[in-house]
Amino acid sequence: MTALIAQLAPVLGQVEIHNRTGPNAPCQAQNKAFCFDWAVDNFDRYTTPLLNHVLIVLVCVAIGFAAAFGMALISHGRRWLIPTFTGTTGVLYTIPSLAFIFLLLPITGLGTTTAIIVLSVYTLQIIYRNIVAGLANVPPESKDAGRGMGMTDRQLLWRVELPLALPEIIAGLRIATVSTVAIASLMVFANVNTLGEPLYQQISFKTNVVIAGGLMILMAIAFDALLLLAQRLLAPWRRPSMEALA
Amino acid sequence: MDAGHQAASVSYRDVTKRYPGQTEPAINHLTLDVPAGEICVLVGPSGCGKTTAMRMANRTVEITEGDVLIGDTSVRNRDPTELRREMGYVIQQTGLFPHKTIADNIATVPNLLGWDNDRTQKRVRELFDVIGLDAELGGRFPSQLSGGQQQRIGVARALAADPPVMLMDEPFGAIDPINRERLQNEFLRLQAEIQKTVLFVTHDIDEAIKMGDRVAILKQGGHLVQYATPAELLMAPADDFVEDFVGADRALKRLALMRVRDINLWEAPLAYVGQPTAEVRAKLEGAEVPHALVVDSERRPIGWLSDADLRGDLVPQKPDTSPEPILDVDDVMRDALADLLQTETQYAPVMDAQGRIAGVLSVEIISEFLVSPEAKVEEHAAVERPVERPLGE
Repeated sequence: MTALIAQLAPVLGQVEIHNRTGPNAPCQAQNKAFCFDWAVDNFDRYTTPLLNHVLIVLVCVAIGFAAAFGMALISHGRRWLIPTFTGTTGVLYTIPSLAFIFLLLPITGLGTTTAIIVLSVYTLQIIYRNIVAGLANVPPESKDAGRGMGMTDRQLLWRVELPLALPEIIAGLRIATVSTVAIASLMVFANVNTLGEPLYQQISFKTNVVIAGGLMILMAIAFDALLLLAQRLLAPWRRPSMEALA
Repeated sequence: MDAGHQAASVSYRDVTKRYPGQTEPAINHLTLDVPAGEICVLVGPSGCGKTTAMRMANRTVEITEGDVLIGDTSVRNRDPTELRREMGYVIQQTGLFPHKTIADNIATVPNLLGWDNDRTQKRVRELFDVIGLDAELGGRFPSQLSGGQQQRIGVARALAADPPVMLMDEPFGAIDPINRERLQNEFLRLQAEIQKTVLFVTHDIDEAIKMGDRVAILKQGGHLVQYATPAELLMAPADDFVEDFVGADRALKRLALMRVRDINLWEAPLAYVGQPTAEVRAKLEGAEVPHALVVDSERRPIGWLSDADLRGDLVPQKPDTSPEPILDVDDVMRDALADLLQTETQYAPVMDAQGRIAGVLSVEIISEFLVSPEAKVEEHAAVERPVERPLGE
């Protein structure tokens, strides 16, 4: 991996591989699984990448959600558009991250814009499919009842269909968020200082890998838990305890 | 009840529904008048267009030709959403919104109409009373209620804005038979009080006969075959299709529509305790009932005199044969027949509301009744709804 980065570095031009840690400490020298002292001394070097990482995940999932939601609303009344949207987002999803960055090089160059475009586009497929599936799974009798009681199409959408699709929409957001946390580390190749930066700088130094990787895992778990909590709060009728009561 | 809307008549005027790409219309020149405050049941086999016909009233299905009038107003001149908010809507799978609490479900139409919160809350509480459910259920979600409770909530929700017309599409179709019977009776009791105009769709002819003031039988292709009261339908089916549809047991079904007092009872030869049997024997000659019924001083039946009893000098205090079953003039005829068959007797004394002998019902009377054409006319005049007690009794 280091070799790959070394090869890429001249191409990308801006990724520097620097080793800020002296190889004096015995724990480091032996490259043990985890050097606690080193971690305490050097934790500050992860703060900025961590915040960048969190921020870029939030921004990209938000953009992806907004775009996917808009697409879902457009295709809601025009079902023939659904295969087109699913197909397009599906094709975009298959582009490898590095290739995607290179494709954008002539247009947006390297940097945050490129990273945000790549990451947002990846979320589209998952979020869009889940919104569409959620809307499709709304019980037909709920729609029939809503319409029969005099809801307009818009009222039906906002008062019945979207609330009932919410659990599936949030499920989509959870998958999209977790995968964005992972892919965001690759944005080091777009010269964005996410947790990928320290990770790839010293990919063979175990303590570093454990900290950078561990922070990403914790971040993914935290986002996932928050979204799950949001789902519980927003969709109380789906709580398992409620079903047990019934 | 809130200052309610007067029930409105519903008239189908030569209504036809054609779906694009289909040569045969789904509804074929349907003309039907439902007087205000009555239940009209649309019944027929699947694919007969009964639901389509109902849905054209609130324009969830658009009319191809013809018109539906609510009161004097054509539904075609109405904004569909406004029109629908003035019509209660109950469907088979309840269609309760799973994500809304019971109270919010009931408040759906008031919320659409923009009622203020106080008025809506008051109305919701009122409706819990009307359907006989605890208002405590208001905070629960539909999945926490039984099927029967959910369907009652469905009815309450349809009644929320006190609409002049109710559309009910197989409302009790998904309920088990015992609860269905209960819900049907509850609804008839409720209807006696609220007097809505109801279009009620079912595929079950027994339900149609029970629930309908009038029954419209449709067949494949949306043809109205017969539109009549339940009694007329059973008595004079318009054609073989109707006869088939109402079933071979239509004679028995007619009994379910009648009460004992609707039939001419036989006069019982009465015998009083301590009366000389010679008098009783004289009375029995030429009597319709060949047995004497012993009654006490208040004309309450004690038993039937047997031949052995008659051989004594005086009418004994304890006759040989029990007077069971003792029927009531308000008993449904079908149940009365069932009682007679169950106790394996030919005759049963019938009591009036004051507990006095009104006459004797026999299996013979019933079977004669079922075959005699004059009786059919009488039945028609006398027919009554099986349930008419007010709510909460």
